[in-house]
Amino acid sequence: MKIIKINAIWCSACISMHKIWNEIEKLYSDIEIISYDFDLDEDEIKQFNVGDTLPVAIFYKNEVEVARLNGEKKIDDIVKIIEENK
Amino acid sequence: MKKILLIIITILLFIPMVCNANTNQNELIEVYLFYSSSCGHCKAAKEFLKEYQSEKQTIHINYYEVTRNKRNAKTFENVQEVLDHPSMNVPYIVIGGEIIIGYGENTDKEIVNVIEYYLDNDYINIPGKIIDGEITKDNISEYIKKENVISDNKANIPLLGEVDVKNISIPFLGIVMGLVDGFNPCAMWILIFLISMLINMKDRKRMWILGISFLLTSALVYALIMGAWLNIVVNFTQVRWIQIIIGLIALGGALFNFRSYYLERKKDAGCQVVDEKKRKKIISKIKKFTAEKSFILALLGIILLAASVNIVELACSAGLPVLYTNILALNHITGIASIFYIFIYILFFLLDDLIIFIIAAITFKVTGMTTKYTKFSHLIGAIIMLVIGILMIIKPEFVMFNF
Repeated sequence: MKIIKINAIWCSACISMHKIWNEIEKLYSDIEIISYDFDLDEDEIKQFNVGDTLPVAIFYKNEVEVARLNGEKKIDDIVKIIEENK
Repeated sequence: MKKILLIIITILLFIPMVCNANTNQNELIEVYLFYSSSCGHCKAAKEFLKEYQSEKQTIHINYYEVTRNKRNAKTFENVQEVLDHPSMNVPYIVIGGEIIIGYGENTDKEIVNVIEYYLDNDYINIPGKIIDGEITKDNISEYIKKENVISDNKANIPLLGEVDVKNISIPFLGIVMGLVDGFNPCAMWILIFLISMLINMKDRKRMWILGISFLLTSALVYALIMGAWLNIVVNFTQVRWIQIIIGLIALGGALFNFRSYYLERKKDAGCQVVDEKKRKKIISKIKKFTAEKSFILALLGIILLAASVNIVELACSAGLPVLYTNILALNHITGIASIFYIFIYILFFLLDDLIIFIIAAITFKVTGMTTKYTKFSHLIGAIIMLVIGILMIIKPEFVMFNF
């Protein structure tokens, strides 16, 4: 499984979720998590159709998008998606 | 933040109104009217007293204009000090040992009650004796008893004791409206980006100075705009049809906020990406200013940025600072008192920014404020505006805290 995260330096909600993502990384060390910055990695994130609410987390299983979370979420929301698509 | 709100709500719930009984008597009752020549309520109080005087012939009115006449202002200060009843508001009427502050629907009745009471009971011209120097802080207790106070807007608040409702209600309103306004995160992202850039510089001194300059300039811009607006409206808010217009504008603001809440209620909580061009421009400016080798140029850049950003932010606040300023005007709060009340609003408006900045400056880490409750700021803002708007139209004296 792979997760693409899109944050922004200026985004309060993204910073709020740092702790949660640190937890996820500890819980699922086998998952590849790639982080992009909304302003610095403009070219790379074009393909993801990010929308207008940050942060965004896109979940891939076998290179196919299986879920997407927009905005500030609880750790349980992320764990649920991971567990369902393991 | 939640704790602060809880404390405020608890204080509000525990405001029981206290109306006290009195004692005293005599023939010609001396009424002391401390007033401002530019205050509409003072004018109304003056007219009522004159009318009463010519009709009943039982009182003598002593006029003290306190905003233009320095000597009178000093007398006013002395009377308040000796009576131990400080207030920033006028009209301030003293009859015997009774004090009536402000002028609302029930004030005429209160004045008549006090005069009639003294006509039938023991009467001592306490303010007259204070002015003559006969009564001082040291011997006032021999002339006046605390329970003498007839009825003004006094409230008994747990821990704080007896306070003037107006003196507590306006700062309270400032705290609530400032907090709600502060939750509106229009400029929050700019502060967070600035902090991130400053952290990268790894220069704590530079971070403190530039960050504090950003916040101070934000406060100053807000204060100047609110102060200027207060000066414009202060002479008009006593006019009934202007009160109605202010009320209607507040109702318009309430509708706008309800709409914002309705549109956002199902959206995911998070940071909204808006106005790409403007954001990029601000980001490049912050990068430029924080990287600037000359400290003075960096400081000037940050100050200019904060000023321009906050003028835009004011529009984002959807009228809350303007409405608060109108309430100050309606209560005829000007001068130093108005600076104090505006300061309270701004302090609470900037509270979240201050917390984030101080934590970052101490720990060198950026703390994110959750965005989960942001949409509720629109709902609370809407409710405040709705209540104040309705009161302005049907019961403006309630907004003046004359119950």
